[in-house]
Amino acid sequence: MTKTSTLAALVASLSLSLAAVPAQAGAVLDRVLAAKTLKVATDANWAPQSFVNDKNEMDGFDIDVAKEIGKRLGVSVEFVTPGWDIITAGKWQGRWDMHVGSMTPTKARAEIFDFPAVYYYTPAAVAVHKDSKAEKLSDLEGKVVGVTATSTFEAYANQDLTLDAAGAPPFTYEFKAGEVKSYANSTTAFDDLRLGDGTRLDAVVSTLPSILDAEKAGYPIKQLGKPVFFEPLAVAVEHGDKELSEKIAEAVDAIRADGTLSKLSVKWYGVDYTVTQ
Amino acid sequence: MLYPDTVESEVLVHKPWFVGVMFAAIFALFLAFDLSGTLLGELMRPVIGEPLESGIYGRFAIAFVIAALFCLNVVLIGFASLRVQITIVWLELLLLFLAFFKTFNLSLPFMAEKLPFLVTQGLFTTIYVSAISIVIASAIAILGAVAKLSTNGFAYAIASFYTSFFRGLPLLMQVYLIYLGLPQLGFVIDAVPAGILALSLCYGAYMTEIFRSGIQSIDRGQWEASRSIGFGFGITMRKIILPQALPVIIPPTGNQFISMLKDSSLVSVIGVWELMFLARTLGQKSFQHMEMLISAAMLYWVVSICLELIQSRIERHYARSKIR
Repeated sequence: MTKTSTLAALVASLSLSLAAVPAQAGAVLDRVLAAKTLKVATDANWAPQSFVNDKNEMDGFDIDVAKEIGKRLGVSVEFVTPGWDIITAGKWQGRWDMHVGSMTPTKARAEIFDFPAVYYYTPAAVAVHKDSKAEKLSDLEGKVVGVTATSTFEAYANQDLTLDAAGAPPFTYEFKAGEVKSYANSTTAFDDLRLGDGTRLDAVVSTLPSILDAEKAGYPIKQLGKPVFFEPLAVAVEHGDKELSEKIAEAVDAIRADGTLSKLSVKWYGVDYTVTQ
Repeated sequence: MLYPDTVESEVLVHKPWFVGVMFAAIFALFLAFDLSGTLLGELMRPVIGEPLESGIYGRFAIAFVIAALFCLNVVLIGFASLRVQITIVWLELLLLFLAFFKTFNLSLPFMAEKLPFLVTQGLFTTIYVSAISIVIASAIAILGAVAKLSTNGFAYAIASFYTSFFRGLPLLMQVYLIYLGLPQLGFVIDAVPAGILALSLCYGAYMTEIFRSGIQSIDRGQWEASRSIGFGFGITMRKIILPQALPVIIPPTGNQFISMLKDSSLVSVIGVWELMFLARTLGQKSFQHMEMLISAAMLYWVVSICLELIQSRIERHYARSKIR
């Protein structure tokens, strides 16, 4: 059957043609400046950091920060929205140049990515019931503390926290909990705390934004003392282009220096999360 | 009956035993639910008094009325002609569905506001991704089917390896493998082409098998006769085999097209803003995901119905020889 063997040859040559190789250039910055566009990867489903707004455009704190970085580099910004696992898998192959999506710069991630700039922090804080007699964090010594299971808050309550993220400010353990109760999520912990001071819990360790949200939603709780530690969140780029990293670091510094960053944080969170108190 | 014939028989839904069984089943089913607090209970007020206090009697009466109405409806439909029957049953099922969605308390203004974007961005992307994939998959399928039937060892080996591999992996995994894996070979491919490639290869594999079985369903005597009067491979395929095989091939291929349309939603994982991606994203901020999911579901359905209609039209075209 001569016709079918030509067919086989055709199939074979088709598969070979896929091996045409457009190599990726080393200097990402050159490409960005030449194209006048910075391609930014981020999540489309994570309000208020990044989401699709009423006008069907990307919007949010991370989006504003990315746009601002683009402005300082003198290029326009374009957003792509691959899944989180695809972004963190690395090997971006020039599909996008930078990730602004609230990534915590841990040591494991630093093997794949450069973190040129930390642009804000999620503060972890302690909430107590409104009627609580505790006046400072050390009053919680030996009390029952609720946390989310396998979170950094649980590690903090157990005095077992390693924050290996670059740019994480140092912290101290303010109290030693008598008992640590772990919950599936922070809402359940707040639900137990609202029952009354010491009924089931004396305090909850969680993110400050979630404590403030619960308070706003009518939970009879209040923040006690200052935030206990800060988890930094950074811009990520791939290894290999030092100039790009420097440029981004410079841009974020400039945005922070002229107060724009704080203004954006207040715009989206109502609080300035770009500094650690 | 599978085909209309001349044997006289009574309509099934008019047979007393069938109506009886149906009535008992519906009655038992609704006896299991307490519907006295709903609109139905309110409508029955003249008979059962205060619905919430009617207790077991109210429940009994409501279930009885529902079962009676249902059976009456079915018996009446039984009198209509076939075409009318089909239309009425369709409309009734559709009404039931709408009533089901109504219970979700959806915000219609929000759906109306987002619909244009869902269509121009989402549905458009979904359709062009699946349309291109369908064309490529069909081409692959013809090549693959011929290769699988050939006596050439290479062609058979390659084709059977291909179908085995791409039918054996989940499509989602193929999307990931192509999007993340091809760049490892130095071939950086964008999200949309990666999705089209994955869909084409996967569906090409399934359709290879459909085409192969369709071609094989034609008696080999046809092939031998054609060869014996001196026809070559091409003309035998085009004039003898395929025209007879197509009526067998078309229904399952139509299935594939419809399921391709919906499986194209898998490319949303690599960040393509198609219908599924937007359905999951647009309502997120304002906690209105149900609205967007249902809008997208309806859009998928409408397009599927269009494909169904096209399929039945083609089927009718090829069934000309069988019409009596």
